[in-house]
Amino acid sequence: MNQSKLDRRQFLKGLGLGGAGVALAGCDLPSYVTLEQGEENVISYLAPNEYVIPGVGVWYASTCVGCSAGCGIHGRVREGRVLKLEGNPDSGVNMGRLCQMGQAALQHHFNPDRIANPMVRKNGALVEASWDEAIALINEKSKSGKAAWVTGTISGHQRVMAQTHLGAIGGSRHYAVEQINANVWKTACKDIINDPNPEIHLEKAKVIFSLGADFLGTFISPVHFAASYAEFRTPPRGTLIQAEPAMSLTGGNADHWVGIKPGSETALALGVANALMNNHGVAGNGISNATKTLINKHDPETVAGICAVPVGRIEKIAASLAANSPSLVLAGGSATGNANGYSAAAAALMLNQMLGNIGTTITAGRELAYPQLDLVEGNSANLKDLAIDANEGKIDVLFVSGANPLFLAPKSLKMLEGWNKVGFKVVLSSMLDETAEAADVVLPLASSLEDWGSHIPSYAKGTRNLALQQPLMEPVFPNTRGFGDVVLALAKDAGAPGLDDYDDYYGYLRSAISALKKTDSEKEWNGFLMAGQTQIPSLGRKLSYSDGKITPTMNDSDDGNLTLIASARMGMWDGRGANLPWLQESPDQISKVVWDSWAELHPKTAKSLGIKDGDYINIKSASGEVTTRAFIYKGIHPGAIAVPIGRGHSALGRYAKDNGVNPLSILNGASDSKTGEIATTATKVSVKSAGKNKQMAKLMEIDRQHGRKLVATISADKQRRTEGGA
Amino acid sequence: MSEAALKHLSETQTKDIDENIAWAKINRDVLRSMENPRRGYWIAMAISVALFSVMIYAEVYQYIYGMGPALLNTSHMWDLYISTFVFWIGMSHSGTLLSAILHLVHADWRKPIYRFAEAMTTFSLMTAGIFPVIHLGRVWNFYWVMPYMTDRGIWPNFRSPLIWDAFAITTYLTSSVLFLYIGMIPDLAICRDNTTGWRKKLYTWLSLGWHGDDRQWRNFRITYLMIACFLIPLAVSVHSIVSMDFAMAIMPGWHVTTFPPYFVAGALYSGCAAIITLFILLRYFFKFEEYMTFPILDKVCKLTFVIAMVWSYLNLVEFASVWYGHDIPSKEVLLAKAYGPYAPFFWGMIAFGMFLPFALLSKWVRRNMKLLFVVSVLLNVGMWLERWMIVTPTLSMSYHPWGWNIMWPGWVEWAMVGGSFGWFGMLFLIFVKVFPCVSMYEVKEMVFHRKRTIYEDVDEMMVLHKGAPTAVEAGSTKNGGS
Amino acid sequence: MSSLFGNILKGWTDYTKGIEEGGHHEYEHMWGMVIDLDKCTGCNACSVACYAENNIATVGEEKYVARQSMQWLRVERYFDEPDIDPGAIDDENAMQERGASFLPMMCQQCNAATCEPVCPVAATYHTPDGLNAQIYNRCIGSRYCANNCPYRLRVFNFYSYTDENGAWPEPMKQQLNPDISVREKGVMEKCTFCIQRINAAKDKAKMENRQVTEGEVKTACQQTCPTQAIMFGDLLNPESKVTQAWVRQQIKLGKYKQDRENPTLRGYRIFEELNTDPSVLYLERVREE
Repeated sequence: MNQSKLDRRQFLKGLGLGGAGVALAGCDLPSYVTLEQGEENVISYLAPNEYVIPGVGVWYASTCVGCSAGCGIHGRVREGRVLKLEGNPDSGVNMGRLCQMGQAALQHHFNPDRIANPMVRKNGALVEASWDEAIALINEKSKSGKAAWVTGTISGHQRVMAQTHLGAIGGSRHYAVEQINANVWKTACKDIINDPNPEIHLEKAKVIFSLGADFLGTFISPVHFAASYAEFRTPPRGTLIQAEPAMSLTGGNADHWVGIKPGSETALALGVANALMNNHGVAGNGISNATKTLINKHDPETVAGICAVPVGRIEKIAASLAANSPSLVLAGGSATGNANGYSAAAAALMLNQMLGNIGTTITAGRELAYPQLDLVEGNSANLKDLAIDANEGKIDVLFVSGANPLFLAPKSLKMLEGWNKVGFKVVLSSMLDETAEAADVVLPLASSLEDWGSHIPSYAKGTRNLALQQPLMEPVFPNTRGFGDVVLALAKDAGAPGLDDYDDYYGYLRSAISALKKTDSEKEWNGFLMAGQTQIPSLGRKLSYSDGKITPTMNDSDDGNLTLIASARMGMWDGRGANLPWLQESPDQISKVVWDSWAELHPKTAKSLGIKDGDYINIKSASGEVTTRAFIYKGIHPGAIAVPIGRGHSALGRYAKDNGVNPLSILNGASDSKTGEIATTATKVSVKSAGKNKQMAKLMEIDRQHGRKLVATISADKQRRTEGGA
Repeated sequence: MSEAALKHLSETQTKDIDENIAWAKINRDVLRSMENPRRGYWIAMAISVALFSVMIYAEVYQYIYGMGPALLNTSHMWDLYISTFVFWIGMSHSGTLLSAILHLVHADWRKPIYRFAEAMTTFSLMTAGIFPVIHLGRVWNFYWVMPYMTDRGIWPNFRSPLIWDAFAITTYLTSSVLFLYIGMIPDLAICRDNTTGWRKKLYTWLSLGWHGDDRQWRNFRITYLMIACFLIPLAVSVHSIVSMDFAMAIMPGWHVTTFPPYFVAGALYSGCAAIITLFILLRYFFKFEEYMTFPILDKVCKLTFVIAMVWSYLNLVEFASVWYGHDIPSKEVLLAKAYGPYAPFFWGMIAFGMFLPFALLSKWVRRNMKLLFVVSVLLNVGMWLERWMIVTPTLSMSYHPWGWNIMWPGWVEWAMVGGSFGWFGMLFLIFVKVFPCVSMYEVKEMVFHRKRTIYEDVDEMMVLHKGAPTAVEAGSTKNGGS
Repeated sequence: MSSLFGNILKGWTDYTKGIEEGGHHEYEHMWGMVIDLDKCTGCNACSVACYAENNIATVGEEKYVARQSMQWLRVERYFDEPDIDPGAIDDENAMQERGASFLPMMCQQCNAATCEPVCPVAATYHTPDGLNAQIYNRCIGSRYCANNCPYRLRVFNFYSYTDENGAWPEPMKQQLNPDISVREKGVMEKCTFCIQRINAAKDKAKMENRQVTEGEVKTACQQTCPTQAIMFGDLLNPESKVTQAWVRQQIKLGKYKQDRENPTLRGYRIFEELNTDPSVLYLERVREE
C-alpha cells in the first residue's frame, strides 16, 4: 500500500510537471485512504476537476502498440477507467479504424495475469522483490560483461532510451526480434528499387497479384491496407489474385485464389512473366538479360509442373495483369517464408517493373530526417543471431523487453541452451511469458495504456508522423512502471550522460519532442497529445530499378512428407494475443476455430492419411513434434499442412498456458538465403493420426449455405454494368 | 392370483361387471385397498421419492449454475423440458376423456376405472406444470407471466402462446382438481363412516357433510355434469394451446396448421395408454379383478386403438402436407428426422406409435396382462419420443444453417425427466392409499343398472323400481349399501 | 387505474393500426444498417469491438463446443458460391479457386420480428426507434424468442459469468462498460445496435434542442471496421447514407418481396421472404468470374 501510494504520487507529480491534466481524467479516482488516517484527502466526485463529469466518457488519443503498424487510438475514459479503444480518425495509419488486436488491447491492460511486482531469482525460483532490490541487483550486474538488448520492433524515444542504456553499460548488440514481419520484402525493395519501405497504392491498382502477402491480416500495416483495399474494391472494382499454399485472410478475399506448392512462388512469378512477354507483348524494360533468360526458361507449361497450378490459370493471371493497368504485385507471408523467399520478392518487384507499376502503384516513401528515431524493425534473422551469439558466449548480460524469444525460437536454434549460458538476464514485461519465467530479474512494466511513448509507424503514406502514446489511466497494478521510466533510471544509474535533467521518462519525452518541434508551448504540446501524433520532418526518396537475384530452384525432395506452414494470423499474432480471452474467443477468420490450435489439411491428403475433421494428429519434424486437431478444407495445397502461430504457450497466463501448440517449435531451422529470416514454410513433416477425435470449438461446423441466400455473389461484370465504372 | 386362476378368469370373464356383486363387498374391497401398504408399495414409494429427490437436486444445481449443465445451446433453447411438458399434458387427457366425455355419452363401463384416471389427470397436470417453470432461465421470476396488477402497469404479453399456456394449464388444473374432488365426495363420506383417527377427521372435513339426501344428490349430479361439460372444451383447448407454442412459431416443422388436433389426438392416445398401464398395475396390486375386468380392459384397448389410428392419420397428414407444401426448410426437417442423427428415435416413434397399436387388435394380447403392460408402456414411450421429435429436430435444423447442430441432453435434463416420473408416482401412490381409487358409489350404480338391464321384464323392473333402493339411493352410505 | 389498462389498450390500437397500414409507422427513428459484403474482409474486428463495447462474456472452449457462446455479432464464413460456381465445392480433390465468403451477422432488428410476439413477459419489444429491444430486467429466460429467431442471433446466459472464474476476473471487471448492464444468468441478450450510443446521442440532441444528425451515432462494429463495410444511420432521415443506399438499392421496408426495377442491384435482406422485415441491408459480394 505504501509502495503504491508513493507510485501514485510520483505519477501525479509527473503529470503535474507537464500540466497534462488534459491527458488524464483517469487520475481522479477517489482515494482509498480514509480521512481518519489523515494521510490523504478524499477527492469526491461531487467536486471533481472541471473536465471530469461523472457518467460522461472522455476520449484521449494514444497509439496502439499491438503490432508495429502504430495505429492511432482513442481511448474512452470514464470515472478513471479506460473502457473502450477506437481508431483515431486523424491518424494517417488507420484513419479511425482498428483491428481486433487493437480492440483487445484493453484486455492486455486489465489482464489478471499481469506481473504486479518485481521478481528476482533466488535459489532457482523467481520471488517477489522490491524495486530497489531489483534495480540494485541490475546495477550490480549490468556492467559485468558483454551486454545486449532484445526488443521487438522499437522506434521513437524508447529506441533512443534503450540504445542509450545499452551504450552506458558498454554493450553493442541490439536484437530486434519479430516473428511476423516483412523483412524479406523490405530488404528486396531496398536492394532492387532503392527504397525499403515504398508506398503501396492498393487503391490505384486494377489488379493485385499477391504472392502470399497477407496485407489484410499480417503484412506491414494491415488496417491501413484494409482501408486501401476498400477503395480498391469500389467501382471500377479491382481484381485480387492471391497465390499461396494455404489460405490467408487476404486469400480468403481473393477473386482468384491459386493454391500452389509451397516454395514455388518464384517459379509462378517467372511463369507469369513469361506469359506476359511472350503472349501479351510486354517488353520488360529495365529487366536484365540474365533475368530474361531465366524468364524464357519458365514457360507456363514448365511452371505448371513446378507449382502444380494449371497452365490456364497462369495464363489467366498474365492476361489479367496485361489487360488491366496499373496493377500491383506483392510478395510476403508464405511466399517469402522459405529458403528462397528473397527470390519471390525479387520476382514480384521484377513483375512490377515489367508492368510499369513502379512509380504508379509503388511509389517512393519518405525517410525520416531523424534516423535515430526511426524503426529498428524486428525480424527473425535476429532471433537466429541471438541464439547463435548466446550459445557462442557473446552475451553475458541480456535485457529483454517486448519480445519473447524463448517462445518464438524453434527448438533447432537451441535458444534455451544459449539463454542459460547468459549470465544475467533481465526481462521487462507486463506478463510472465516464457522468457520472463526464465529470467533472473523480472521488472513489471505498465501496460501500453498506462505508459508514455513515441512511435514511428512502420508504414506511412505521404508525411511522416511521430505517434504519441500517453497513459489513459492510473496503473491498474500500482507497483508497475513504464518502460521508458525504467530504462531511463537504469541508464542514469549506469552513468549515461545528459539524462540528469529528467526525473522521469515523461519529462524526457516532452523535452525531446519540444526540441524536435522547436516549441516549448504548453498549448502546442497538448495539441500533440490531443492529436495523438505530430508531424516530423522527412525527406523524399527516389525509386530506381535494378534486377534482384532470382533463383527459382526449389529444394524439394518428394519424400511423401508434407510441408509444414507455420501460418501467421491476425489475432494471436506471434503469440502475444494468446492470453486475451477476446482474441482467444474470436474465431480464426478462415477456420473459425476458437480457443485451440488446429492443423489445416486438404481433403485429399486427409483421406490418404485416414484423418477426419477433429482427429488429433501428430505432426513430426526432424526437431520435434506437436499434436493438434485436423481442420480439413480445400484452401490448402494437398502437399502442405498449416498450423497457425500464436498458441502453445507454456506460460503467459491462465488463458494462454497449455492452450494449443506452437508450430514454430518444430521448424527445422532453415532460413532465407539472403536475409536470414527463419523459413516458416520449409519444414518437412510426417503426419499421422493420433487416434483420438474430439469436436473442435468452432464458430460454425458448416461451410456451405444449403440453398439459403446468405452471402449472395454477383459477377464483377454485372456489378460494373449496374454500378458503373466510376 | 395364480397364473391358472388368471387364465381362467381371462377366459370366463365376459361381463363388464358381475351384477350380483354385493354392495357391501364393494365398499369392503375398495376400503381394503386403502389400508396396510405392503412392501411393494413402500419399494415403489422409495423409488419415486428417490427419483424426485434427484430432480430436486438437479433443480437446485440448475438454480445455482444456470441452464448450461442441461446442455441446451444457442440453437436448442428448448429440449426435454418442453417435450416432457407436452408429454405430461398429454397424459392428463385420459381422465377427462374417461370421466367427462364417456360420462356424457353414458358409457357406464368407465365407472370402475375413471377415478384413478382422473387422479392421473390431476397429477400429470401437476407434473406438467413443473416444466415450464423449471425451464425458465430465471425461475425465481416465474410469476411474471401472470397478469397481476402492479403499480408500474406492467402486463405480460398476451400475444405469447406461453401466456396462453399459463392460463390454460392453471384453468385446467383447477377444473380437474374440482372435478376429481367433487366426484369423490360421496365416496369420501363412505370412507368417513368406516374409518377412525386422522383419516376420519380428514374425510369428515373433505366430505362436506355429505349424507346422501335427495337434494344433495340432485345438486351433486348437476354440479358434476356441469364441470364435465366445462372440462371437455378445456381439455381440447389446453392441448391445442400447447400445440400453439409450436404452431405459432415460424420454425419449419413447428409452423404446422394441423398441430392442434394432432396434439389433442396424441394426448388422448398417450392418456389411454397410461390408463391401460395403471389399470393393470392397480388390478394386480389391489386385487381389483372383479371391478377392473377384462371386458372393460378390452374396451379401453379398443378405444386406444381407435385414437391411435386417428393420431397416425394426422401424423401422415402432417408429413404429406409438408411434402406437397414444398417448403424447403420444412422438408429438410422432415428428411432429417427420417435420416438424420435423430432417426432412431423418429422411427422408434413410428414403430411404437403407429404400428404397435395394431397389437391391441389381438384378443390374445388384450388378455395377456404382462404383454399388454409392456405394450402400453411402449405406446407411451412412443408418445414421449413423438414429443421429443417435435421439439428437437426442428431446432437442430432451422432456417439458418449456422444453427444446425445435434444436441444430446445433459444429465440435469435427464434428472428432471426421470424426476417427473418420481413426482407423479409419489403423488399417485399417496392418492391410492388416501383416497378410494375405484369409485364405490358409481360401481354400485353400475351394478344396479346392469341388474336392471338383465331383468328386462318390465314388471320385474317395476317391482325393482319400487322395492329396491333407487339408483340415487344406491350411493347412500349410512349402512354401507344393501 | 386507467394507466394500468392504458398500456394494453394503447398497444391494441397500435396493433390494429399496424395491421391496417401494413406496419406501424409512428417511429421517431428507424435505425438501419447496410453491410457491403464486397468490402467485408471477414477480419473479425467488428466482433471483438462488440465484445468490448457491450460487456459480452467470453465462455471458454468447453462451453463454446457446447455452442453456448455469447457473441452478438458473428462473422460467418462459407466456402461455396452458389451464384457463380455452384459445383465447385463438391469436388473433394480440387483446391479452392476463390476465397471464402464472409457474412457478419448481428441482430437484424426486424420490424416484424418473430421474437417479439412470443415473449411471455414482453421483455423483447419494438422501440419507437425501430429497434428490437431486450429488457434484461424483465426477461425470465423462457428462451422462446431465440427459438423463434430464424437468424439464430439471440444468445442466452446459460451460466453466470460474473464471478472470479467467469469472464471478468479482477481487474478485468474494470473494463466493463457502465452504460449497459452486465447480464446475469438466465437472461437472453442480443445486438442492440449499440443502443447506449444511440441514447447518448439522443439525449445530447435533446439538450441542444435539435435532431440527431447523420453520423452522430456510430455502432462499435461500424466504427472499427477497417474497410468501413458497415454503414449505420436513420432510415427516416432522407439525407442519411443508409437511406440513400436503401433507395439506391430499391429496397423498401415493410415488404417481403421487393419489386425492383433493376433486379441486378446488389441489395438484399436475408430471409426477407419470411416477412421478418429486417433493418439490415446486405450488398452482394462481387467476384470476378
